[in-house]
Amino acid sequence: MSVTEAQSPAALDKEDERRLYRKEMAIAKKYIGPFPVVMALWGFSNLLCWFALWPLVIFDVIPLWVGFIIATANVALCYLPSHEAQHSNYANPGTPLRWLNELIGYVSTIPLVLPFKIARYTHMRHHKHTNDPKLDPDYEVIAPTWQQAVLKTIRRMQPGFPNSYGVVLSENADDPAAKRAGLEGMVQSLAYWGILGALAWSGYALEAAFLWWVPRMLGTIYISLFLSWWPHHPMNEMGRYRNTRSFSHKLGNIVAFGMEDHIIHHLHPGMPLNRNKAAFRELRPILEARGCRLEDHYS
Amino acid sequence: MELLKAIYPWGPVLFGIGFLAPLIAAIMASIGIAAPLDLTEIQSGLIIGGTWGLIAKFGGRWI
Repeated sequence: MSVTEAQSPAALDKEDERRLYRKEMAIAKKYIGPFPVVMALWGFSNLLCWFALWPLVIFDVIPLWVGFIIATANVALCYLPSHEAQHSNYANPGTPLRWLNELIGYVSTIPLVLPFKIARYTHMRHHKHTNDPKLDPDYEVIAPTWQQAVLKTIRRMQPGFPNSYGVVLSENADDPAAKRAGLEGMVQSLAYWGILGALAWSGYALEAAFLWWVPRMLGTIYISLFLSWWPHHPMNEMGRYRNTRSFSHKLGNIVAFGMEDHIIHHLHPGMPLNRNKAAFRELRPILEARGCRLEDHYS
Repeated sequence: MELLKAIYPWGPVLFGIGFLAPLIAAIMASIGIAAPLDLTEIQSGLIIGGTWGLIAKFGGRWI
């Protein structure tokens, strides 16, 4: 599949371009700024819920199958609060609440075992090179249908499949940030496998499998499908206004984790997820004028 | 670090023995499957988990 570079497919002269840009930024500014309380609460409450499942299941307060369903939801839900932290949306470097930004980034993805520094390092590259077959670390998710995207994610989990995030880190081995991310990632992965093994050999193998190991695989598939495949499909265009689309999912925006308006995130990554829908509605005329990919939306 | 680099390629085998073996034993016990050939459940788990890990290591895939 060929990838084309399209900065703004609508034919706009320079004056129109500047006018639209100013309008876009004025609207976006209204939604960027206040501390994203919703996302912070989401991150901590989701993590607490997942931690609480362990004693609840081990002491037979709830059956394992109920814990399994909730844990799977917890894993799927844990990425997005960390995603805000990757963009420093809770607090910028050098500000008093920076520690909170980093704390949310680190702890919210414990159920997913996604090391924060690796997530941030690779995600910034995804934004910089969205849909670039060679440089976008998320490009691997490309598939013609969502069902094939699911199968591809399962293939990508196999030990013989090169890990695209690992490839990015090794290609940037001289970068201290990549080195640090790789080290933290290794420690976190070893801790995960060590804890799973320790639980299993202590008589909690079923709990380890159905509260963490299987939910993590299912959550990874869900996140990959809704956060990577759906908003960027078919991944054949690059450029600020064409590399991401808006779409309407049959099961709604909540099931799609708010990704129907992912185009807003790529245009304004500093805007928290819970404000994307309102911003999308207000920005829509500008996006239409820009020739953005507003697919499946019927106005 | 060198030690980690050396054992990393054997991850699937270690996972088969370190996690899948007790998990298989626990599943056998919980659904009442008797181990064949007078083996215990954990012995069966170690054989199945270890073999599966070797297949994953050399074949590049679990499934």
